[in-house]
Amino acid sequence: MKKMNVSEMSEKAANDLLMVRLGQLVVNERYKNGDFKVPIHLALGHEAIAVAVSQTMEPEDQLVLSHRNIHYNLARSGSVKEEIDEYLLKPEGAGGGWLGSMNLSRKSEGVAYTSSILGNNLPVASGMALANKTREKESVVIVVTGDGAMEEGAFYESLTFMKTFGLRVIVIVEDNGWSLASRIHERRCEIDLNQLAKAFGIRHDTMEGNDIARYIETLRDIREWTMDKNEPVIVHVLLTTLGHWTMKTEDYPEGKFINYHAGPAKTVNIGDGPVIENSEADPVFVLKSRLDETEFDKLVKNQLQNLSGELP
Amino acid sequence: MNYVGFVNQELKKALKDKKGVIVFGQNVGTGSCVSGLSRGIEKETGCRVLNTQNSENTLVGAGFGMMRNGVSSIYIMKQLDFLLLGIDQLVNTYNYIRVFKPSASFTILAVVVDNGYQGMQSSLNNLADFCSIARIPGYAITNRRDAEKIIGAHLVSPGFRIIGLSQRLFGRELIDFEQVISCEADGGWLQYTDGADVTIACFNFSIPQGRGLIEALKDKGKEASLFSINSSSPVEWSPIIANACQTGAIVVIDDIKSVNSPSVDLVARARGEEKIRTITHITRDFSSLDWLRPNADELVLNNKNIIHQALK
Ligand SMILES: Cc1ncc(C[n+]2csc(CCOP(=O)(O)OP(=O)(O)O)c2C)c(N)n1
Ligand SMILES: [Mg+2]
Repeated sequence: MKKMNVSEMSEKAANDLLMVRLGQLVVNERYKNGDFKVPIHLALGHEAIAVAVSQTMEPEDQLVLSHRNIHYNLARSGSVKEEIDEYLLKPEGAGGGWLGSMNLSRKSEGVAYTSSILGNNLPVASGMALANKTREKESVVIVVTGDGAMEEGAFYESLTFMKTFGLRVIVIVEDNGWSLASRIHERRCEIDLNQLAKAFGIRHDTMEGNDIARYIETLRDIREWTMDKNEPVIVHVLLTTLGHWTMKTEDYPEGKFINYHAGPAKTVNIGDGPVIENSEADPVFVLKSRLDETEFDKLVKNQLQNLSGELP
Repeated sequence: MNYVGFVNQELKKALKDKKGVIVFGQNVGTGSCVSGLSRGIEKETGCRVLNTQNSENTLVGAGFGMMRNGVSSIYIMKQLDFLLLGIDQLVNTYNYIRVFKPSASFTILAVVVDNGYQGMQSSLNNLADFCSIARIPGYAITNRRDAEKIIGAHLVSPGFRIIGLSQRLFGRELIDFEQVISCEADGGWLQYTDGADVTIACFNFSIPQGRGLIEALKDKGKEASLFSINSSSPVEWSPIIANACQTGAIVVIDDIKSVNSPSVDLVARARGEEKIRTITHITRDFSSLDWLRPNADELVLNNKNIIHQALK
């Protein structure tokens, strides 16, 4: 693949992607250090969609999040310090120390509501979009859910509501294949989202591969479409939550695969650099493979300099 | 042995010869098996363990459906908050099913996430509210003795009930008492000590606080009668009232966030007794919105003040 100069992609996208990754790695170091009392769901591997959503949003657009929200909050605000201060429950934190991690929103940056209860945010997003329609606002509501949360009845009820009332909502399904420690096949049948969307007459797009530039392009197109058509869209994002480890048990002497769900990612260390996995599953690896190496290193160095004050 | 280890052991004991019982819920068969709660059940008891999707309304309704058709089940729920999604079934379905006096058993075993710092949407400890809404039998488990009594009597027996476990106690050393002096037939309350100076009644999950108060009383050369109130609804209080008439002082400790606690009923009963000179009702402080911030979420007693007030 041809290597790019950073100005050929979007310098902001590249920088934000690295900020969201490195910001999380800093949070992880503090977490491993035992600095936080609130439970945090890191989103290592989820950075590309978060940055793309953030860069697609227009000033009036609103984002509605769930338990795993650090990537969007960082992408929207750019402030790792305010994120960490919130986790420390300080008044200077992003939520004034009231929200902690699982409910963290940031009104001034368009993060309107965040819920730790699966499915809870979809009806709220539907209502927000109906309000926007009633008030003739030129904006979109983007709501984030997961392959686990979409098992809640509220998902189907909200799709019906959004379609019925012709609402401008982009439903992002972050599909990592896991809910807690259960893989999809360990807890339910497969659900073909594309077919499901068809049944509702809702547009459906799939995104995978973690190419930030392509993600932004696709989302901009989707945003334009929903604005134009007054219709909801489902965006199925296939991704991998990074930070797994193996645990040796009696039944698994070779080591059992333990997926990352929440808490510190104990095998991930900031000293190992911003790339966690050398594969397409890691958006930062994808970025690195697109960029000229010295360019990439320069961007990383700059970001790390900004963050050094937040390390334990 | 810690609390969750003991509860897990008691569950397996109670299910040993109950092969037809279905144990189901999110993550019950994978990963940590709900922090160890359901670990080994399938292997050691032969009961069917079904790992399920995230759909609480359906899962509660399915429990009643199985009951309707003669199959007993236990729904292990990671967090009491999620039972809010099943309230229609708790009320409307249960009210229908119960009229026909089903011979099958349905138990919801819910973890009350009271360990603090979870945020406003993930720390509901109001077991009594769920029970009150349809007069559902409910029990809180706090120690070895009440665990044995409640799991033994109620885990699998005709009818429906909710059993609550405290997440705060999960990893802690199991609380034990030398003896059970008396108890309500259904395990609605248990008495562990008999002292002449004060009667202490601990509601919901406040038995650790009650034990702390006993120690503080001992330092002052005073002896207390200690009761744990496990029932989430008012029960026959006469023996506790009789004890308080003898000591002349009752301290009622309740860590629940509900307005609607059976402790209010006990206090009302005590008010009618001339022989009870002092009634001290310790509840949570809701005078500001601070209880909604992520916090330690623990009822902290000022034992010195309580003793002063009780022994006035
Ligand atoms: C109503 C409800 N049920 C259960 C949970 C417990 N829970 C928290 S996160 C989670 C997994 C959700 O999976 P998914 O939506 O795929 O998100 P992921 O964690 O994989 O990003 C579960 C079951 C919850 N928060 N809310
Ligand atoms: Mg998932």
